[in-house]
Amino acid sequence: MRLTYLLMAGVSVAALAVTGCSSSSSSGDSNGVTHVSFWQEKYEDYQQVWFKKQVTDFNASHPKIHIDYQVVPGDTWQQKLKAAQAAGKQPDVATTNYGSIAPGVADGQFIPLDGLLPDSAFSDLKDNVKSFVTIEGKHYAYPILVEPSTVLYYRTDLARAAGLDPNSPPKTWDELITWARALTKGKVTGMTIASTKEDLQWSSWGLQWDACGHWAISDDWSKSQATDPCYDKLLQFYKTLYQDKLMPQQPKVNYPDSLPYQQGEVAMMADGSWAVGQLKDLAPKLISKTAVAAFPSMDGDPTKTTATLGGWTLTIDGKAKHKQQAADFINWMLAGDPQIMTSFFKAGGYSKYTVRKSVDQALLKDPQANADPFMKVISDKVIPYGRQEPDYPTDISDALATAIEAAMKGTSSIPSALGTADSKIKSVIQKQQLAGTQP
Amino acid sequence: MAIMTQVEAPGTTAPSLSRRARSRQGRPTTPKHLRSNLTAYMMITPMVGLLGVFVLWPLGYAFWLSLHRSSFYQSPKYVGFAFYRYVLTDPMFWHSIETGLKYTAMVVPISIIIALLLASFIKTLPGRTAGFMKTVVYVPAAVSSIVAALVFTFMYQDQGVGNWLVGLFGVKPVAWLNNPDTALPGVAATGIWLRFGIATLIMLAGLLDIPDSYYESAALDGANFVQRTWYITIPMLKNVILFLFVTEFVLAMQEFQLPLIMTKGGPVDATNTPNLYIFNSFRDNTPYATSFSLAASLLLFAVLGVISMIVFRLVRSSKAVDG
Repeated sequence: MRLTYLLMAGVSVAALAVTGCSSSSSSGDSNGVTHVSFWQEKYEDYQQVWFKKQVTDFNASHPKIHIDYQVVPGDTWQQKLKAAQAAGKQPDVATTNYGSIAPGVADGQFIPLDGLLPDSAFSDLKDNVKSFVTIEGKHYAYPILVEPSTVLYYRTDLARAAGLDPNSPPKTWDELITWARALTKGKVTGMTIASTKEDLQWSSWGLQWDACGHWAISDDWSKSQATDPCYDKLLQFYKTLYQDKLMPQQPKVNYPDSLPYQQGEVAMMADGSWAVGQLKDLAPKLISKTAVAAFPSMDGDPTKTTATLGGWTLTIDGKAKHKQQAADFINWMLAGDPQIMTSFFKAGGYSKYTVRKSVDQALLKDPQANADPFMKVISDKVIPYGRQEPDYPTDISDALATAIEAAMKGTSSIPSALGTADSKIKSVIQKQQLAGTQP
Repeated sequence: MAIMTQVEAPGTTAPSLSRRARSRQGRPTTPKHLRSNLTAYMMITPMVGLLGVFVLWPLGYAFWLSLHRSSFYQSPKYVGFAFYRYVLTDPMFWHSIETGLKYTAMVVPISIIIALLLASFIKTLPGRTAGFMKTVVYVPAAVSSIVAALVFTFMYQDQGVGNWLVGLFGVKPVAWLNNPDTALPGVAATGIWLRFGIATLIMLAGLLDIPDSYYESAALDGANFVQRTWYITIPMLKNVILFLFVTEFVLAMQEFQLPLIMTKGGPVDATNTPNLYIFNSFRDNTPYATSFSLAASLLLFAVLGVISMIVFRLVRSSKAVDG
């Protein structure tokens, strides 16, 4: 009898463990209501508030569709998504960055939205942004926003105190280094910029393009270009800033976080346009003492790319059961009434940029948007020269970022660091059979 | 049974015959030793089942997947041992093993030495004080490694305790976690702090098992503390030290959370331990990521197994002579 109980207990534990490992499906039908799961990667707090409100409004106005909304922290996104994909529980709709669209399409992860959204939704997109989500003539994502990855923020009061003209910000890398030296005083360092591989992987793309006019891998993904001498100058730029102690030696936060600037620890900051929202929200007193400018280019040409245009889209999963309902949600929230997206940009303090012509028109009527001191500079001097983020595998970005970091921290000479990056990129090309597979 | 047979034999009735027949026909088919084995098999069945479901099957499936270029959206494509070659020819894999061994070389010996010294000290204390000390040394083990990693990260900041201490000697702030030379020792210090408590308690249990008469004889012969430790304590604790060495070694080689939180494997991959390397490979947004990380995991499993075997061979365990 005791043995029977033991066996039953064992079976129960096993059953509980097995069932405990699976989550209930959030995609399906119940009482005539179609459930569509939506995962949003966690961003600034106001975005979660905005998305939650839109989902609530959509659910209220669409009784036959219910969006099951879930916020997923960024640092667990990949593993959570992969675990869900392995279990067949992946979300129907998910936030996807521009750089992940092409690899996802090649893998069959996303479906084209053509036919599911009206043609007018795509004709309303700005032409350059349309190309970010288009592969072989089909639209695989609907964009939410664009945001330049690198903008220069600087303290006008500290510049004046150091004898610099805040109305004439640095235009070349050399001038930027001169400014950083002049502004490094006491506990304030000249500037902050990425110094870890994790941040350099993507935040240095704009400067890589500025230095070389091409990526570290050839356009057809068949050859490494990491030993091009132009990269020497890029690595030297980062090395000077770090080794001359013109930037914090130990970053407290990652590149996207403007905390050191908010706390007055640095006089200048390289950060994305999103930092405008952070400053308005968390350090409003600094706004009057802050100016923004396009990040300096290597030779001072203001039309050269120094920032990539990143941003987020919504995609529909290749295995989604209710594709049309998922598309209806995307269409309602992102491609419908321009006022919905206008409210998004307003909530973000105009720190992100629109992808639709009709939303631009709506913002023109917004006096607050027109009066914003930063929006015009970024719209006119950064975004027009920004490039789309590269969509080659992360390993390529990783190789060059490691080279930059090695030069900064002094573990390798610049030629040696680039040589290592070159070997790694060649190895990735060969092992991942990349040649000719570019989107 | 024999008495019953004798009593019933003269005047047997049909039912009693039937019982005897059942008894004679049924029992010989399941001998006693097999019956006891059957009970044992039934008792271990749930555990074997769980082991099969949660260990053996995933292990087999992982191996099968590692032989395929797999995607959650396309049919797996058999590629043989291509991913194993890919991992074995990746310098970062070997670099991560080297980093793991360096981390282990810092954490394991220091933890064991601290544990031995602390345990020896606690053994000399009177009851209440010893109890208090045991609680104190165990506290770090009860702290989440996530919390410990965050606290130590703050301590290593420019304005942190670490730089305040070196500042007392006129040294300028050190970028502990952003300098390739100091980052791994910085992470290892956190690992030692987290692990030495358990090692101390295990070591103390071993120490208390050594008969006092050994020490009394040694003291009569004029042996000092170092001699008593070297000639009595360490030989008598050989098995405990071996156990600690192997378990701490495997744990340290698999360290993952501390470098993930404190340094993310940097700077310049200086703290990229094997498991962190595998984890980051898995998170890569390429169709190669899953199979690559599985192949790397299985290879790490093999590497750890081989190293553990070598350790056992080098330090032969034996039963304690006494106590």
